[in-house]
Amino acid sequence: MKWSKMKKYLTPGQILLYTLMILIMLTMVVPLLNILAKSFSDPAQSMGMSGLEIWPRGFSLLNYQVVFSNNLMVPAIWNSLFITVVGTVLNVALTTTAAYALTRPGLLFKKYIMGFLIAMMLFDPGFVPEYLVIQDFKLMNTPWSVILVTAVNVYYLVICMRYFEAVPVSLYEAATIEGASHLRIYAQIFLPLAKAGVATLCMFYAVARWNEYFRAGIYLTSSSKTTLQVILRQFVVSGDTAAIIGAQNLLNYNEFAKVDYSALKSATIIIAIVPILLLYPIVLRFYTKDLMAGAMKE
Amino acid sequence: MTEHVNTVKAQRQMLRRKNLVRFRNDWILYAMLAPTLIYFVLFRVLPILNMRLAFYTFKSRTPWVFAGWKYFETIFSSPQFFKILTNTLIISLMKYVLLFPVFVVFAILLNEIRSLRFRKCIQVISYLPHFLSWVVIAGIWIDFLSVDGAVNQIMGWFGVEPVRYMTNKGTIRWVLFFSEMWRSLGWDSIIYFTAILAIDNSLYESAAIDGAGRMAIIRYIILPTLVAPMTTMFILNLGYFLSAGFDQVLNFTNDSVNSVIDILDTYIYRIGLERGQYSLATAMSLLKGLVGCVLVFLTHITSKRLTGTGVW
Repeated sequence: MKWSKMKKYLTPGQILLYTLMILIMLTMVVPLLNILAKSFSDPAQSMGMSGLEIWPRGFSLLNYQVVFSNNLMVPAIWNSLFITVVGTVLNVALTTTAAYALTRPGLLFKKYIMGFLIAMMLFDPGFVPEYLVIQDFKLMNTPWSVILVTAVNVYYLVICMRYFEAVPVSLYEAATIEGASHLRIYAQIFLPLAKAGVATLCMFYAVARWNEYFRAGIYLTSSSKTTLQVILRQFVVSGDTAAIIGAQNLLNYNEFAKVDYSALKSATIIIAIVPILLLYPIVLRFYTKDLMAGAMKE
Repeated sequence: MTEHVNTVKAQRQMLRRKNLVRFRNDWILYAMLAPTLIYFVLFRVLPILNMRLAFYTFKSRTPWVFAGWKYFETIFSSPQFFKILTNTLIISLMKYVLLFPVFVVFAILLNEIRSLRFRKCIQVISYLPHFLSWVVIAGIWIDFLSVDGAVNQIMGWFGVEPVRYMTNKGTIRWVLFFSEMWRSLGWDSIIYFTAILAIDNSLYESAAIDGAGRMAIIRYIILPTLVAPMTTMFILNLGYFLSAGFDQVLNFTNDSVNSVIDILDTYIYRIGLERGQYSLATAMSLLKGLVGCVLVFLTHITSKRLTGTGVW
């Protein structure tokens, strides 16, 4: 950057603003890096690690070894992945088809259907009535309870309708005149043209699925069906150390007694964050592109 | 007159026939909608019908026994209910009234950053916490706020004695406040930031000709633009007013502080799903749902009358 340009930035107000923003970013980045550093630290050295250190003390994979040697952990990760993948596919399939139908001009009863959906969004039946329905449908202790109970989010459906409304009407009309069926128009025109929106939608749903801990904790009663977030919660929030190491391991391995629980927690948290970090670029690419396009206009 | 009635009737009949044809041609659209509607009937309408349990005593094998207003009387006669309601209202006030302007300020400040690259960097980092689950955030914050955690260490530089923020009744509500801010600062300010970006350039240009400074621009151009999204967000937040963020509280709570952050939803969860008092829990959910809907409708109507913008 040229100095003359730099000088424009260096007003006291701008310096104050940049300092404030950098501080805010540090509060978000430092705790995450600290946890990452702890998880890769040598357990013998990580015990007294401060919350501000962002570089591992020594290097060791022992924390991850311990976490993965818990025989509940690997199935729990698979369960989480299954629920996330199948659940997201279901979410996106239902949301996009419904959004397509609801954005077609001249759909009968559209007003009533939208009213119904908005009412469903506003009124929350509460935990017990929903629990009883899951019981009645015999879905308890199957992943389908968690997958089906959050199949469509009205808020995301409305967002998807906005995306589909942005598809040029002329394309739709031309396709109709050509005699293309609704399914074909949906699959070959709307999905590709609203690609960015659908990708964002996928990401939102997938993150919500991966982060689901509450319903999974209630509906998946046996430990073989449980998910990563449920185990994480038992360990991190409820402080149940047996949950993370596995009761069997606690008895078998004396050397695990030396392990630093705080570092183990960190390793579990990192495992739970990694899929989100993998999905995050998608949202940035599609979601912030609009914002950036807006910014460029200035 | 009768002729007129007849033509109206005929018109109606024709419309009905036309609609029938349209329905027949577009049946595939209804087939595409059907799974979503069936989902809502099975997993939303049926639970809502189950809410009649509030007036019944639960039996698992035999039909429920009618109990009238019994459970509502239990709720209103227990002093604990009012304590929990107060907690809920205080936490909601902190989150949806006190915290709310922070997001607006953040959006305005973000707009003042001139370097686009730095601005993007802030966006990328500040959106991230929104995507972490409350379980993960609680895990991070418990570490963050522990006696030898980062916060106490920094406070130590200024000579402040370490505080156990997570187990202190005086600080825990502020922990909820700041962790909510940490999680939502970037994400919840997007709506305001996009509104600012949509402001027409000519407004800025004419302001510059008039010699307006940044403060004047913020005061007279940016803030007025933000009134509409602020109203919308405020009304939407009112829908959550009695929820006050269940997931957050459930993960941040512990025995030492539960009495000051126990909210309606955590209480409903505890008595309903942990202690099996289904009817009592349902009665409370019903009250909560009804009051929540009334709140949203009332603010929607008021806001429409005052500012012309509502939610729908």
